[in-house]
Amino acid sequence: MSLNVARARRNEALLAYAFLFPSLVFLAVFTYWPILRSIWFSLHDVVLGDPEIFWLGAENYLRLLDDGLFWKVFANTALYTLITIPLAILVALLLAVALDSKLRGIGLYRSAFFYPVMIPSVAAGMVWVFLYAPGYGPINEALTFLGLPRLDWLYSSKWALPAIMLMSIWKYSGYFMLILLAALKLVPSDLYEAARLDGVSAPQRLIHITVPLISPTLYFVIVIGLLHSYQIFDYVYVMTQGGPADATNVLTFYIYQNGFQYQDIGYASTLANTLLVFVLGLIGLVSVTLGRRVHYLGER
Amino acid sequence: MTAISEAQPAAHAPRRRSVLARLKGNWLQFIMLPVALLWMSPLIWIVLTSLKTKAEVFDPEAGFLPQALNFANYPATLAVAPFGTYLINSIIVTGSILAAQLVTITLAAYAFARLEFPLKRLLFSLFLLQVMFPIYAIFLTNFITLREFGLINTLPAMIVPFVASGYGTFMLRQSFRQVPQELSDAARLDGCGHFGILWHVFLPLVQPTLIAFGIISVVTHWNDYMWPLLVTNSDNVRTLPIGLGLLAKSDSGADWTRLMAGTVIVVSPLLLAFVIFQRRFIDSFMHTGVK
Repeated sequence: MSLNVARARRNEALLAYAFLFPSLVFLAVFTYWPILRSIWFSLHDVVLGDPEIFWLGAENYLRLLDDGLFWKVFANTALYTLITIPLAILVALLLAVALDSKLRGIGLYRSAFFYPVMIPSVAAGMVWVFLYAPGYGPINEALTFLGLPRLDWLYSSKWALPAIMLMSIWKYSGYFMLILLAALKLVPSDLYEAARLDGVSAPQRLIHITVPLISPTLYFVIVIGLLHSYQIFDYVYVMTQGGPADATNVLTFYIYQNGFQYQDIGYASTLANTLLVFVLGLIGLVSVTLGRRVHYLGER
Repeated sequence: MTAISEAQPAAHAPRRRSVLARLKGNWLQFIMLPVALLWMSPLIWIVLTSLKTKAEVFDPEAGFLPQALNFANYPATLAVAPFGTYLINSIIVTGSILAAQLVTITLAAYAFARLEFPLKRLLFSLFLLQVMFPIYAIFLTNFITLREFGLINTLPAMIVPFVASGYGTFMLRQSFRQVPQELSDAARLDGCGHFGILWHVFLPLVQPTLIAFGIISVVTHWNDYMWPLLVTNSDNVRTLPIGLGLLAKSDSGADWTRLMAGTVIVVSPLLLAFVIFQRRFIDSFMHTGVK
């Protein structure tokens, strides 16, 4: 009998490994191997298409510390991520709360806010280049109409990055909104009713009731948002090519420049590893600070 | 709050509240309508510009609407690049990725949800690692790997990196775990093996999750720009977003009317599907957020 149990258990394990095998092959080739290889490359002098490879040790990392442009690019990446994602989530939360009420034409509103998610980033980028055009773009026309000064937007080293941030908020908020909306639907409405009768104002209800109750989803959205910030490559590539004067150059684009344009795989890998550590660090920070405070309501 | 609750006769209370509720609804409308219009404005601008003539775009005196509906930009755009080829490539790439992913994630999710085996936790975290490190973070080394395989500038180069999906496996595992154990026990008594149970019991029950994942996958890969840009360099393997990007460059970037017409052409299949299946689409999408 126990022999049979042992055999059944072994068969189950073998079946499980067989089921995991297809995924694991592709994960190994396109996720694990590249990460390991990227670390190895960063310790060497590697040129694209050149079979000769030299050991450098930590030299690439020392070069990174000395590279003024790297620090600028890193600051841009951090600024973009730390401003865009929280703002997009805040906008998404407000939209979700507004749409959670009994509003007429809810379907139209949901579509109006969600459709940017469906537009290819390259198309979105080009359209916004047009919207931001200093001479004839609708945004500057609108500013003039409101009596505000016109801006050079993507041509100004001061306004180019904020312009891309603004566009990203338009692009992502709808996605986050939908996920948050789903969570809001699960919050029992008698809680609001009770708070309302106790004289708790709408903003206070949002902060003290809604946010804690949907905190697991909020946490999920933050992580998804951080991972979405990789997409800025598309916008930078289409809209500014990192300019003007590297004002919109970000890590993914700088990796592309070093690896594909200058063919310096060693240094580009060093940058890529830095990006991985940065994103992993942010996710770790979020899980340590926010993850512990997440409330699970009736968690299964 | 107000005095309503104190001295109102009971019969009037519900009516009074409905008036208040309606007022509150309208108050929200006054805020939401302009915000929604603001959100829609880029799309409105795309469509309007695609119907204008080139001179109209740059003329500050010309109004908001095109003077006459001018559809000439559409055929003109299609003549610039082989959009038919791009369309077929986009369909092949997106379709193959989805088909392959559905197979890999179904098998892996079943193993994680319903089978016991050594190293389960470790393997599961290895799957989640891929969620943290998508190809956009490790594109450089992946490019080199594909170059060594001789796959650069082929359709498979745009497909193989996405065959396994940590995110999809995670989503599906969550759904599989919610299938009652009694159902699979009953199927086993009826003589079903693991494949039979998976096919006849689990897959029909998790259809909403499969649809939701399918939508995410199709939207992501149909619109993907960075990866196809890096691994292709000739017309016969390029996809629609790349074609759109070429359009921006080929005409010194200022031929907005054609560019917007091209944008409408590329965007419309997904937007049309979205408008038609709006309810289902959004319900499925919301479904993924809950889990």
